[in-house]
Amino acid sequence: MENTVSILRQIPLNNYILLSTLLFCIGVIGVLSRRNAIIILMCVELMLNAVNLLLAAFSAYNSDPAGQVFVFFIMAVAAAEVAVGLAILMMVFRNTGTVDINALNKLKG
Amino acid sequence: MGAGSLIVLIICGIAFAGGGILLSKVLAQTSTNAQKGQAYECGVPTQGRSWIQLNVGYYLFAILFLIFDVELVFLYPWAVVVREAGWMAFLEIVIFLFILFLGFLYAHKKGALKWM
Amino acid sequence: MNEIVQFMLPELGLTVLLFVLLFVRIVGKLELAGQVCQLMNIALPILALCMWFMPAPEGAQFGGMMISSKLIVTEKLLLLVGTWIISLFSSPWLRGHRHPAEFYMLMLSTLMGIFFLLSSGDFLLFFLALELSAIPLAALCNFDLEKHVSGESAMKMIFSSALSSGILLFGISLLYGATGTLSFVQIPALLDGSPLQIMAFVMIFTGFAFKLSIVPFHFWTADVYEGAPVPVTAFLSVISKGSMAFVFVSALYTVFRPLSEIWYIAITLLAVISMTVGNLFAIRQQNLKRFLAFSSIAQVGYLLIGISGSSIDGMSSVVYFVLVYVFSNLAAFAVITLVSSATSRETIDGLKGFHASNPLLAWVLALALFSLAGIPPTAGFFGKFFLLTAGAAKWNSPVLIVAALNMVVSLYYYLRVVKAMFMDSSDDTMIRLTPNVSVQFALLLCTAGILLLGFYSPAYEWIRSLSFGI
Repeated sequence: MENTVSILRQIPLNNYILLSTLLFCIGVIGVLSRRNAIIILMCVELMLNAVNLLLAAFSAYNSDPAGQVFVFFIMAVAAAEVAVGLAILMMVFRNTGTVDINALNKLKG
Repeated sequence: MGAGSLIVLIICGIAFAGGGILLSKVLAQTSTNAQKGQAYECGVPTQGRSWIQLNVGYYLFAILFLIFDVELVFLYPWAVVVREAGWMAFLEIVIFLFILFLGFLYAHKKGALKWM
Repeated sequence: MNEIVQFMLPELGLTVLLFVLLFVRIVGKLELAGQVCQLMNIALPILALCMWFMPAPEGAQFGGMMISSKLIVTEKLLLLVGTWIISLFSSPWLRGHRHPAEFYMLMLSTLMGIFFLLSSGDFLLFFLALELSAIPLAALCNFDLEKHVSGESAMKMIFSSALSSGILLFGISLLYGATGTLSFVQIPALLDGSPLQIMAFVMIFTGFAFKLSIVPFHFWTADVYEGAPVPVTAFLSVISKGSMAFVFVSALYTVFRPLSEIWYIAITLLAVISMTVGNLFAIRQQNLKRFLAFSSIAQVGYLLIGISGSSIDGMSSVVYFVLVYVFSNLAAFAVITLVSSATSRETIDGLKGFHASNPLLAWVLALALFSLAGIPPTAGFFGKFFLLTAGAAKWNSPVLIVAALNMVVSLYYYLRVVKAMFMDSSDDTMIRLTPNVSVQFALLLCTAGILLLGFYSPAYEWIRSLSFGI
């Protein structure tokens, strides 16, 4: 644990923040602009993993384990979210035969 | 042994590879026909689209695996501290696994684990 | 041990109900599951009575992870009663359905997430509870499995909730980096308005705005509400949104108290936009669920005015408004569920001549719409009145004038539905609907709530005695 923390601390905190902000922005742009539902789910994962990285870095710099505990829970919840998302996607695919979200246009007004 | 030798090595390498290709272009006889364009040594040509639909059942297994696999991440930190934390921690993990097991039983009851 | 059991009584009670449902579903036959679901109509009020007579002691447990107070118990009780009403009036729809046990499992686990959300004292539990109250809801939206629109609405729900919780999480992680703690109690002392903290706050605020469907982040609302089955829409728009309003106001008043100058500007602006856009879009809707979706966006706008008061009245008026909103909106949804499960009509034109065939139901729906519009004898008037009074404490009269104008606009479209029911006649007359006992009881409960809360003023005083301001 101590060893890992010292390795993590060799990189300045700003770099962690920049990297995870960048990853997070890529994820958000992907969610907003992609049309394939599976790729959107992947982009959501990217967003959550950017958060994980940030939490781990802050946790190492604050010498506080709460952030790392948070990471565990985010991983588990992300899996649950993706599982439900994929299950819904399967139902949509059975009904429409496509995973393109442009096909989801029955609800308008 | 400085940068000069590296440059010599690169030039020699390009000359060796490029010279071989050039030489074969010049010397070898070439002929083109329709058969040459086919897939090499793969038996019969493919029929239909190669992007086939996999059975939905596979996704079901993948999703179930995903859930039960990732929940086990909580067992690692538990295993590290279980000796200090004592029986209470053991009881808690038993409850946790029991809830997961109920989910598994539910999936079994719904027939999600049947191989089609 | 005993103390913890009493502290977590609502959550443990829901867990027991969930286990019973899961066990019956695993072991028993499908018919048995259907009968057990009928029992839920009795089990939920019993749980509510237990919560009323054995309220959780004030204080914190699990190292400050879970907190409880009288206000939180009241909020939980209100949402539990709301869920009970939904469970009562969804029975005719559920009878024809293949998965009644799953409906209750998903609904109760969402409710459990909401309970944990209300009593969370730490961002870790807050996040877990938020996800527990969002993920099963997406599955609920897809409950009419063979309908295309249902899947579409579930898809939009899961994407928007994933996006919003991602943004919220990023905010939480920045806040964790800026303050070094996740605990609600310790954070306010460490907030000094540094750029990183402002950024974190904006992210968390955006996440909340998505969940509450405040206007720039409302795009998912109408589609999700329209596609989902009617009882699920009722749950989404009343229970889920009401709980988010509770959490939002208590988070702003406790955790983000030092940043109150910043969020005051943000929520007054968003209140104006939400009211205006919600009302203007509601005018042109034909589908009843879509219409109620935009009306709920407008209601959130009024709610933000109350929050902006940032006084003790601000919080109590929000809680009171949600109390009124639960009864009035659920009455409307109960009637719409009846109509849609009997005739599969969900448009305003489909209600033409409703009064001629079903006078009593038409009156209940009219009463609910009057209450939503805020016409005096009903409880809705007092809900809005208290919100605006709380907002007026800050003397920002332009916002109040916009709110008053918006209420006039909203009166027009609520009365359009009433006109369709009472004055228009239609060629194909509606059949006479016969609600069963549980639906009748739900309607009676809602009507009593709308009428009595309007005349019984101690309710507000009592909530006010539990609330706190900045």
